[in-house]
Amino acid sequence: MTSSLTPEEFAALARRAGLPLDAAQLATLHAVHGHVEAMVARNRTALDGEARGRAAEPAHVFVPGQG
Amino acid sequence: MAFPTIASASRALAAGQVSPVELAQTCLDRIARHDGALHSFILTTPERALADARASEARWRAKAPLGPLDGIPVAHKDIYATAGIPTTAHSRLLQDWVPDADGTVVRLWREAGTSMLGKLATHEFAFGGPSFDLPWPPVRNPWDTTRFTAGSSSGTGAAVAAGFILGGTGSDTGGSIRGPAALCGIAGIKPTYGLCSRAGILPLAWSMDHAGPMAWTVEDCAMLLQAMAGPDAADPASAGRAAPDLRGITTQGVKGLRVGVVRQWHEVEQPATAATLAGITAAADVLRQAGAEVRDVALPSLADFYACGWLLMVTEAFTAHEPWLRTRFNDYGELLRDRMALGGLISGADYVQAVRRRRELCAAVRDAMADVDLLLTASAPGEAPPIDQVPKWTFDRPGFTIPFNVTGQPALSLCSGFGDGGLPVSVQLAGRPFEDAAVLAAGVVAEAGLGTRDRRPVLIGNASSRGA
Repeated sequence: MTSSLTPEEFAALARRAGLPLDAAQLATLHAVHGHVEAMVARNRTALDGEARGRAAEPAHVFVPGQG
Repeated sequence: MAFPTIASASRALAAGQVSPVELAQTCLDRIARHDGALHSFILTTPERALADARASEARWRAKAPLGPLDGIPVAHKDIYATAGIPTTAHSRLLQDWVPDADGTVVRLWREAGTSMLGKLATHEFAFGGPSFDLPWPPVRNPWDTTRFTAGSSSGTGAAVAAGFILGGTGSDTGGSIRGPAALCGIAGIKPTYGLCSRAGILPLAWSMDHAGPMAWTVEDCAMLLQAMAGPDAADPASAGRAAPDLRGITTQGVKGLRVGVVRQWHEVEQPATAATLAGITAAADVLRQAGAEVRDVALPSLADFYACGWLLMVTEAFTAHEPWLRTRFNDYGELLRDRMALGGLISGADYVQAVRRRRELCAAVRDAMADVDLLLTASAPGEAPPIDQVPKWTFDRPGFTIPFNVTGQPALSLCSGFGDGGLPVSVQLAGRPFEDAAVLAAGVVAEAGLGTRDRRPVLIGNASSRGA
């Protein structure tokens, strides 16, 4: 699955994350990055396929006094 | 006692038919003879084991045992901190780390009187693997040493199946207890999230990490879980609940329980092998004959659970390891560093979207379980693959275990039979949150009816043959 990012854009993303990747490592990860993008896209819609409501709460809820 | 279970050993200890020292020494001898082929232990601690066993023996002689686990030989996955004993996470980065204190579960099992035989191999930091570029080799499957154990609790799975220990600890973030339990032909339960403390266990992904037991039988898992569950202020995720009473688990039965078979997962989305499907059918039949009602149930797709769970896992893992990933990237094994690196490329918004998706998935499963008490599906698609043919990436093969890390429900893997290659296959039972006892009770019934527990891998010297 192809990444939407060019190799140069992908390298910039890795640099931003602070990852000291060499050329081979960048190529390895860039080759599978499309799968990650697909999962990210899947998570961005609600389970029924509709757009998620703006107020939809995450699963992890902050509890005062507990964190 | 060639291959005692925890339950049978406990009865024999109580009757004075075997001593804790004999039990520990038998296990240590077996490890010395055979673990050269399996690599299930990172480190054995024979002096500690025998000291524990001698103390246990004194308690049994004084008729003052600490409980049913007193004198039972166990070992801990090497991400569990053990005071004064190296805890490596199977990683170069922690090769020399010696914790000052036991983790909570290690302490609880010590206080239950177990004899601690050592530290068990894992996938590096419970995530990479099988890896051939670490200071220790990957674990081999005792049913066939050319085969994979799955992971990450690979050492525990192999050591229990080989009879090196009677039970051990595992951890499960995406299936790391149930996967090796499945491929090694043993039982393993991922308890409800928050039931067992993770304090003193190296984290992989905080919101997905579970501690749990692995053993030869479901009953043994229940005995171990009884001694490790309960509230712990040292774990922020602790549910604050007392351990469930699992002592009657072997007589509880399943009469009146409704079991939902998640057919679309193991028949359509990720078709399991014929032997695995036959095991699911057989388990359903056993449960039906024991008084359960069995029907089909529909859940969200495995791909939905995987997309959510994988993203949470790698993002949290990257966060936990970020300082080392930036400065010591190449000290990790290739598999682990590449997986975790992808977590560094996830945006904050993408992570939160996954957490929102998690709430939707939990609600969907809760609604589906309004009419069923238990879920039945596969733990793994089939028998263990060759260890040198395990793919690095599995994006197109979402597993059967990660859904219950996303939802936090209790989920149990147990052996359901053997495939064409003579290796174990398995089924998975899951229940509602904090209904771990119902899952175990059903597991006891299914396991007894399936009749797989008399067959063990045959170990020959420092090699293994097929089970007999």
